[in-house]
Amino acid sequence: MADEPYKRLMCLGCGFSYDEMLGLPEHGIAPGTRWADIPDDWVCPDCGTPKHLFEMIVIGYATGGADMARNA
Amino acid sequence: MSQSFILRNEERGHDLIKSDGSRSSYIAGHPDGFVTRASSFNFHEYQGGRPGFGTIRVFGDEVFHGAGCGYNMHPHHNFAICAFVFGGQLTHVNTAGEGMVDQLRAGDYYVFSAGSGGKHSELSITTEDMQAIYLWVMPEQLYLPPAYHRGHFDFRRRRNEIVMLVGDGDGALPIPQDLRVSRLIADRGRSFRYAPRTASHGAYVFVREGRIGCAGEELGYRDSMGLSGVAAVDIDILDDDSDILIVETIMIDEANIKTWESEHAGH
Repeated sequence: MADEPYKRLMCLGCGFSYDEMLGLPEHGIAPGTRWADIPDDWVCPDCGTPKHLFEMIVIGYATGGADMARNA
Repeated sequence: MSQSFILRNEERGHDLIKSDGSRSSYIAGHPDGFVTRASSFNFHEYQGGRPGFGTIRVFGDEVFHGAGCGYNMHPHHNFAICAFVFGGQLTHVNTAGEGMVDQLRAGDYYVFSAGSGGKHSELSITTEDMQAIYLWVMPEQLYLPPAYHRGHFDFRRRRNEIVMLVGDGDGALPIPQDLRVSRLIADRGRSFRYAPRTASHGAYVFVREGRIGCAGEELGYRDSMGLSGVAAVDIDILDDDSDILIVETIMIDEANIKTWESEHAGH
């Protein structure tokens, strides 16, 4: 599990992204938190879309994007 | 390998969302406003259909009913959102960058790349119903600087030709994705050939008005068809004033879509 590459997911309600490597420290989710370890009743902090309506994505960051994703 | 699907008008997800109760924070125009939305792909409460096509996640055929109806301020990130207006007037208020207020009428369209974020509100403030098609596209990169562009399709001058509205063509609005949107208004008896750039690009053909033959299949009012792995799509116009949107997208390798397609093989 520890060797599994970090995943990125995108909210299909608004486009908010969750990156396992970065977590969401401002929302109490530590960097490195796996998607599977986030409670099923968690919702998008911006639009309230439920966790199961996020989609795994393979999309890179624009310049400076990773910092913005961490502090979203 | 070539693949295709047909989605009939009545097979789409149909929602009627009233501006009442807790919905009135989302849908504007309380108490009389309501939005009707036909979704080609899964969106919000409609989750019974296809997850998407290539980089397209939302293809929503919407009407804002009643003066003041629309969507109140809500956040976006990353998605590139296009709106094509066909009737009424759409007032679009956008906080990205310096922010702006725009008003769009029939033939006008916009591309809003939400990128690192912002909020927008979309309202119909006249008594006429506002009709639009919304397209949500996965971006090429996450957290791009937000961008807004708007254009106009001159449906009187540009008849009987496939006109690129969004993409890398002359005069088309830019979008941060390998995607093109074209529109065709044409008369009965005409034939057109649409050639996707490569075999890795698919085409989603949507008939807003009229009737066409598309790759040998007949498509009527609000029917649509997705094709991938084909060199060209032949379109024969069967009714006058047929109005067609063609979205060409790179076919990304996407797990949700592949799973859905394998579970619905032969559908």
